[in-house]
Amino acid sequence: MSLTPYTGAWTRSEAAHLLRRTLFGPTHQQISSIANMSMNDAVNQLLTIASVNPPLAYDAGETMVPQGQTWINALYPSNPNSNQLCEMARVKSLTAWLMQNMNYQGMDISQKMFFFWHNHFGAAFSSDARATYTYLELLRTSGLGNVKQLVKDVTLDPAMLLFLNGNTNSVQHPNENYSRELLELFTIGKGDQIAAGDYSNYTELDVASGSKILSGYVVQGIRSSTLTAAQTLFLNPLHDTSAKTLSYHFGNATVANAGAQEYANYIDIIFQQPQVATFICTELYRFFVNYDLTNDVETNIIPALAQTMIANNYDILPVLQELFTSQHFYDVALLGSIIRSPLETVFSMLNSTETQINVNLATDYNIYLNIYYAAANMGLDFINPASVAGWEAFYLSPSFSRLWINSTTIKFRFDLATGLFVFGIPINGYTLKVDTIPFLNNLSLPSSADAVIDDICELFIAKPVDVATHDDLVNILTNNLPNFEWTLQYNEYLNNPNNPTFVDPVRYRVQLVLDRVFKMPQYQMI
Amino acid sequence: MKRRQFIKNVALSSASLPFVSNGFGMQALSKKLFNFSTGAEDRVLVMIRLNGGNDGLNTVIPIDQYANLMLHRSEIIIPQNQILSVTPEVGFHPQMQGMKGLFDQGKLSVVQNVGYPEQNRSHFRSMDIWTSGSLDVSETRGWLGRYFDSYNPNYPSGYPNATYPDPFAISMGSEVTATCQGIAANFSHAVSNPNNAVNLYQGGFVNDGSYYGEHVEFVGTIIEQTNSFGQVIHAAAQAGSSLSAMYDPTNSLATQLKYVAQMISGGLKTKVYVLSLGGFDTHDNQADATNLQAGVHVGLIKKVSDAIAAFQDDLQLLGLEQRVVGMTFSEFGRQIESNASLGTDHGDAAPLFLFGTCIQSGIIGPNPTIASALPDQAGIAMQIDFRDVYASILRDWFQVPTNEVQQLFAHQVQFYSLAGTCNVSLEEQALANGSMLVYPNPTPSSVHVNVNLAEGRAMGELRDAHGATVKTYFDQSFPSGVHTIFCDMDGLASGTYFLVIRNNEKTFLEKVVKMK
Repeated sequence: MSLTPYTGAWTRSEAAHLLRRTLFGPTHQQISSIANMSMNDAVNQLLTIASVNPPLAYDAGETMVPQGQTWINALYPSNPNSNQLCEMARVKSLTAWLMQNMNYQGMDISQKMFFFWHNHFGAAFSSDARATYTYLELLRTSGLGNVKQLVKDVTLDPAMLLFLNGNTNSVQHPNENYSRELLELFTIGKGDQIAAGDYSNYTELDVASGSKILSGYVVQGIRSSTLTAAQTLFLNPLHDTSAKTLSYHFGNATVANAGAQEYANYIDIIFQQPQVATFICTELYRFFVNYDLTNDVETNIIPALAQTMIANNYDILPVLQELFTSQHFYDVALLGSIIRSPLETVFSMLNSTETQINVNLATDYNIYLNIYYAAANMGLDFINPASVAGWEAFYLSPSFSRLWINSTTIKFRFDLATGLFVFGIPINGYTLKVDTIPFLNNLSLPSSADAVIDDICELFIAKPVDVATHDDLVNILTNNLPNFEWTLQYNEYLNNPNNPTFVDPVRYRVQLVLDRVFKMPQYQMI
Repeated sequence: MKRRQFIKNVALSSASLPFVSNGFGMQALSKKLFNFSTGAEDRVLVMIRLNGGNDGLNTVIPIDQYANLMLHRSEIIIPQNQILSVTPEVGFHPQMQGMKGLFDQGKLSVVQNVGYPEQNRSHFRSMDIWTSGSLDVSETRGWLGRYFDSYNPNYPSGYPNATYPDPFAISMGSEVTATCQGIAANFSHAVSNPNNAVNLYQGGFVNDGSYYGEHVEFVGTIIEQTNSFGQVIHAAAQAGSSLSAMYDPTNSLATQLKYVAQMISGGLKTKVYVLSLGGFDTHDNQADATNLQAGVHVGLIKKVSDAIAAFQDDLQLLGLEQRVVGMTFSEFGRQIESNASLGTDHGDAAPLFLFGTCIQSGIIGPNPTIASALPDQAGIAMQIDFRDVYASILRDWFQVPTNEVQQLFAHQVQFYSLAGTCNVSLEEQALANGSMLVYPNPTPSSVHVNVNLAEGRAMGELRDAHGATVKTYFDQSFPSGVHTIFCDMDGLASGTYFLVIRNNEKTFLEKVVKMK
C-alpha cells in the first residue's frame, strides 16, 4: 500500500500550498523558485534541516559571558541572586533566538518540524536555560530523523527528566509521570478505555512497570557554577532491578533488568507495536494536512503512511516525502483547511513581506521578545506548551485549529496587523514597522495594481479570492482611482526612489492593503 | 462504597430524607420564606476550573483519617495543629480562611468524593470527561453546550439577536471553554478584560462549502460576534461596579472574578462564567521540604480561597447574592501516597466546592476512608458522580425540568439537593397558585407531594398511562394549608403515571415518571 502520487500540473498554486504548510510564511520568490522545480526536487529541497548559530548573550543579567557570545556551555554565577538574574537573561536570549530562527528560516521544513516535535513532546522550559536549549536543539536537529531514536534521546534528556519527574523516579518512590505520557502521548497513544485501567493500547500495569523500568536517573548540574551543562546520570541503587511485566498489549513481555540500557529495550518493545506508527502518522497528518480523519483518510492515507514509517524503521523523512508528493496532499478540497496558529500568523506577516529584523543584537532580541509575546497573547506561549499534550488546536475535537480563534485572540490578530503595518510598534526606542517597499518591488509586476493584488492574495490567502474581494483590495491600493493612476504613482517612485513625496504614498497604500488582508477571514487559513 | 451510603455530616434537612432531592420539609419552608425570590432566567453559574488535578486530601482534610494519612503522605501532609476545623471530622487547608468564613456563614459546601466510574488518569481524557459530562469518547459537546444546543439548535447562525443579545457563557481569558462546546460552535465567548472596547473590521465572506469555506464562515461569525458581544459586554462593564475591598490585584483568579461581578452588576444576561486556574498538577514540590506551609499547592489554594471569599463579599455588597452560585472542578484528585518529589501523582475522586447563598451548605457526603495499607497507586474511591452534580445544578439552579436534564446525560441521573434553597419561595408561589409539587421526579422509588389544600375532603390516587387507578393513597378531611404527603410507588413498573388529587372542586394533576 502506498499513496497515489500527484501527477497533475505543477504550478504556482501547488507550490504555494506546499510552502504554506511547510514554512512559516513563504515569500513570492520562494513560491516562484519551487514552482520552477519539479515537484520531487521541490520536496527534497524542503526536506532538509538547516543549521543555526547558537543564542547570544545580550542582557545585563548575563554576567558570565560577554555580550555577543553564546552562553550555552557557560557556568552560572554561584551567588544565588546573580544566578537567578543570569537565568532570566538566558531565558530571554533563548526565547528571542527561537523567534529569530523562525524569522530567518531557510527554504526548508526545519522550523515546522521543530514546532511539530515541540508540540508532540510538550515540555515547558526547564529551570536551566542550557538544558532547555539542548532539549529544543535535540528536537530541531532530529526533526526528520528517526522517531524511535528521538524518543530514546528525549527520555534521557535532562530537561525532559525534570519536566516529567523522571529525575525523582526511583525504586523507593516510583513516579509515573513520564511513564504515563511516554505511552499516552509520545508513542502508542491512548485508545478508548475498554476495561478498568485498560486504554486499548496499554494498561495501568504498563504505566506502573514503565516507571520501574525508567527508574534510576537523576539530573545534575542544573544552573551550576561548576558544571557547564546539565547532565543525566544513571544510579543503579535507585533503579528497580526486578523483572517487569507488561500487559497483553505488549504480548505480556517481560523486561529484564538491564540497568542503564533497560529504557532502550523497553522503547524497542513499544515500537514493535504498529499502533505507534499509526499514532505518529495521524498526528503528522493533522499537523500538515487536515484535522478531519475521513473514512478515506483512515482507510487509505494513514495506514499507508504508517506502513511506510514501519518499513523504514521509523524514519520520518520517507513518510513526509510520500505525503508531500501525493495526490491527496494537493487535493483542492484541502486548500486552506487549517487555521493559522499564532506563529503562522505573526511570521507570515513578517516573513512573507520579507521583513527580517537586523538592527543590533540587543534591539533585535528585544524585538523578537515582543514578537514572542505577540504569539503568546494569541494563545501560543512557545516555550510553555499549553500542556504536555501540546496545544489543544492540534488535537482537541471537534474544533481543532479553530481553537486559535476567539473574540480575544482575533482582536489581537487585528491589533498586531495594524501595529506592524500602520502605526508601528515601539520597542525600547525603536519602532517596529514593516517597510512594504522592498516587498512590493519583488512582486511580479509592481506597477500593475491587479498584479500586485493577485500576488498578495496568492501569498496570504489559501484559495483564490472572488472578484469583489479582489476589486476591494485594488481600490484600497489605488485609493479608488483608476488603475493607471497606481502605475503612474509607482513609476514616479521608481524615478525618485529617495524622495519621500513619491515613496511614502506607495509604501502607505501597500501597508493599507496588507492591513486589510490580515483582517479578512480568508487570511486566517493556510 | 455505594452511593446509598451517602450521608450529610451536617444535617440541614430532615434526617429521614438524606438522599431525596428537593427534600425540603415544612421547617425548611418557613426558613426559606425570607429569601428573595428571583426567576431562574436571572441566575448565573460561575465555574472555576482547577486545572491539573487538585489534591483533595490536602484541601479538605478528613481529620478522622489523619493517622493513616500520616502513614502515606507524611512529607506533604498539613500538620494536624494547623488544620482549620470546620466540623469535628473535616478540616480545611490552613490557607483557606476565606472559604472557612463562607462555610461558617452557610455560603459554602463541600461535596465529597466526586468522580466517575473507572477513573481515567489522563489529564486530557479526564478533563474531556468533566467538560463533556460524558464517559463516551465520541461525545464532543460540552455538558452546557448540549443544554444550550437543545434550545438553540441553529447557533451561531442568527445570534446575537433581540432575545439573546448577550453571550450565553463567558470564558474568562483567551480561550473558550469546552464545557460550552455545541454542535456547530462553542457557546462561550472569551473575555480577558471587559473594560476594553472592541470594534473590529467586519468584511464580507462566502462559505463555499469546503473546509476553507467553513473556516471562513466561522472566523467571520466570530468577528461579528466579537463586535456585537463586545459592545454589550463593554456596556455592562461600564454600567457595573465592584464594591469589595477584598480582591487581591496580584491574584489572577480574584481579578477575573471581580470582572465577573462587574459584568453581572452591569446587567449582562450571561448565564455561565467559566474561569480557570492552572498549576494543580503537583507531581513535585507540592509542599516545601522545610516548611509544610510553603510549596506550590499552598499558594494555589490560598488564591482560590481568597478569590472566592472576595467574590462572595462583592456579591453581597452588590445585592447579587441571590443570583449567583459557583462551583469548582478539577479533572481528578491525587493519589493518597505522596511520591519522592514532595508531590502526588494522578488519582481518582476528590471534593468539589459549591458557593453562594442559595446552595445547600455543609459537608455533603462522608469522609473518604484511608486504609493503613494501600495497593500501589491508590486514589480516593468515587461516591458521587460529578454528572449528578451538574444535573442537580441544572435542575435546582436553572430550573430545567428533570426529564430534560436526564436527556442531557447518558447515565441514569441521581439528583441531589445542591442549589435549591432559594427556590422555595418560588415554589411557595407555585403552591399558592394552586399547583402541586412532586419530587423527586423522575423517581427511582417513591415521591413526596407538596400541595396546598383547602379545608375539606381530599382524595389522592395514582393512575397509569391509560387512566386506570393503580394506587389510592388517601381519602380524608384535611385542614387548610400546605401538606407534604408521601406517596409510595415501590413495586410499580417503570413508566409514566399520573398523580391526581381532588380537593373539593379542585383537581391537581401531575405526571410522574418512575425509572429504575
